[in-house]
Amino acid sequence: MAGMSLREVYKTYDDVVAVDRVSLEVEDGEFVALVGPSGCGKTTTLNLVAGLIELTDGDILLGDRAINDLDPKDRDLAMVFQNYALYPNKNVFDNLAFPLKMRGMKKGEIDARVRKTADILSIGPLLDRKPRQLSGGQQQRVALGRALVRNPKAFLMDEPLSNLDAKLRVQMRAELKRFHQELRATVLYVTHDQMEAVTMADKIAVMSGGVLQQYGTPDEIYERPVNTFVAGFIGSPAMNLTRAAYVAADGGGFVRGSEGWEHPLSAVNAERAGRSSGEVVVGIRHSQVRIYREARPGTVAAQVYTVEPTGDLTYVHFRLGGQLLVASEDADFRAAPDDPIWVEFDQDHLHLFDATTEQALFRIGAAAANGTERAREGA
Amino acid sequence: MALADSRALIAPKPRPGRRPPGLFATIVRRRTDYLYVLPAILVMLVVIGYPLVSTVFLSFFEITSSGERVATGVDNYQRILTDRRVNFWKITGNTLYWTVGSTFFATVLGFGAALVLHRRFPGRGVVRAILLIPWVISHVAAAYVWRWILHSDYGLLGGSLVAWGALDQTPVLLDSKANVMPTLIAVNVWKEFPFVMIMLTAGLQTVPEGLLRAARIDGANIWNQFRHVTLPHLKGVVLITTLLLFVTNLNSFTLVWLMTGGGPANASALWITQIYKLAFVGSPQRGLASAFSVILFLIMLGLGYFYVRALTRGNPDQGAA
Repeated sequence: MAGMSLREVYKTYDDVVAVDRVSLEVEDGEFVALVGPSGCGKTTTLNLVAGLIELTDGDILLGDRAINDLDPKDRDLAMVFQNYALYPNKNVFDNLAFPLKMRGMKKGEIDARVRKTADILSIGPLLDRKPRQLSGGQQQRVALGRALVRNPKAFLMDEPLSNLDAKLRVQMRAELKRFHQELRATVLYVTHDQMEAVTMADKIAVMSGGVLQQYGTPDEIYERPVNTFVAGFIGSPAMNLTRAAYVAADGGGFVRGSEGWEHPLSAVNAERAGRSSGEVVVGIRHSQVRIYREARPGTVAAQVYTVEPTGDLTYVHFRLGGQLLVASEDADFRAAPDDPIWVEFDQDHLHLFDATTEQALFRIGAAAANGTERAREGA
Repeated sequence: MALADSRALIAPKPRPGRRPPGLFATIVRRRTDYLYVLPAILVMLVVIGYPLVSTVFLSFFEITSSGERVATGVDNYQRILTDRRVNFWKITGNTLYWTVGSTFFATVLGFGAALVLHRRFPGRGVVRAILLIPWVISHVAAAYVWRWILHSDYGLLGGSLVAWGALDQTPVLLDSKANVMPTLIAVNVWKEFPFVMIMLTAGLQTVPEGLLRAARIDGANIWNQFRHVTLPHLKGVVLITTLLLFVTNLNSFTLVWLMTGGGPANASALWITQIYKLAFVGSPQRGLASAFSVILFLIMLGLGYFYVRALTRGNPDQGAA
């Protein structure tokens, strides 16, 4: 295994910039998820690393060796594809043996390695079957086996779970994570599903419009999104984001929505908002919104829109001014539509972004805040 | 009619476990369905059924010069297999040589052209259009042009080769018993390879890009990508194209008839040219020609069976094999 670095990786198609100077370091044995919406350039980035498409500019290193100009077969990377890409005319054994055969390995060794890999993935009984005789999950395993059997320097995975049904996806997610932990393999994993990224990866690279938005551990990305895109993309339900004007006042200040609602800011948060152009985007996760049945100082009046009990907890969708926001409450919380409520945003977990640049307004010297505990929802 | 209708309506439905209704009953019950295909069946009966029956009928007769029909039993069939003037075995040999040779080389050349044209290069569309020309040219025009090009005395090819000093004298191609078949096959391959090219170009466009990518990552070079991904994917198309060409070539007539008439000395005579000669040239022997046609019909029927099987193989929905 080896680490990987992307340095100023750049790819254009005619006038369209698909990947715009992306740089990231993947440590040896690290699981890195490239996540973003469709068309954000994540798959292109993966294909650039694989060598399936040519770089326009920049460098890709595997270990300390530049692999930019190498043919895919010489890069010593294995890839798992979304649709598995198993050879339909070969049985499972021959599918697994193919990369070894192409490298001119001796028959006896091929046999031994294929069988060992099949054992690891418990697909031993399937070796004589053709891919079309396998279920989706089994095909997925064979595809993984074909990558594993080569003992490559790193694994590239292109949405390998997205063709599976929801239940199998959760199961394979756990298996993949376990497999990574046992092998300490270097993995670059592309997904559009932020939940997959958050649950499996050591680090997440969030991409949008060909640009790397943020690169960090799941906690960093979740706790300290650098801009409104990352804030809105990571987390489920998505972070509440609402525009407001910052109004300075003694002992802090407050934010005022265009419909007139006002929420006070602590001194620290007022200082952050004070660095904005005057307009801010207030971000608050559903778990950091407190709901009261009667008015209290420091709360804002709102109306219940609808209530979604999920069993573990209850999501309360409510209207603040013209906007719909969401909060999570205890499982037994119930309310009728249009019930009046009063909400309070947790000052310690308030995200503030400049409305013009959409960049985060961080607390000065706030790195320590990353250690704060958080409830990871939904998982 | 009205009575029959009402009976059909009030007739009890066949109970399960009972003998299924006969063919005639089924046709009556589903008469509307049959009415829809009736026009097509009528046309088929007129243009295929009638000639077929009358040919089988004729094959058991001899028609004298005065136009009288004389029943001869299986005489015609015996004559086909033994008569030296019919020369059945020699002609069958010619036909197989022609069919296998043409099909093989047209497939190889067409496959090659399809592969070359699958890669992007400037002017690809123009080259593709030019390569299609032989296929769209009429057989008659092509036959006359090639006859002129290959003529033993004043042919364009021979003349050019002599003029450039490549040969001392013009080569004898169509008038030589040894050279006539290879020459005709070459012309036929020229005429037919674009068909293979088109079929395989279409096939190549359906090779899954993902599989080729996987093969590249797995370390396959161009040849191995072709051998392990492209070729298996095209197996079905190649099989069907080859069978189609095979049958077409077994039935060839125009090119050979117009270029050599089956000569010299039957050296290029094929099944169909020989049937045509027997039926319409010199003193016609319709009965003999009919018997020949019937034999051929049976051979084609056998091949047709394999063709349909190949078409539906591996496709459980069509329930073949």
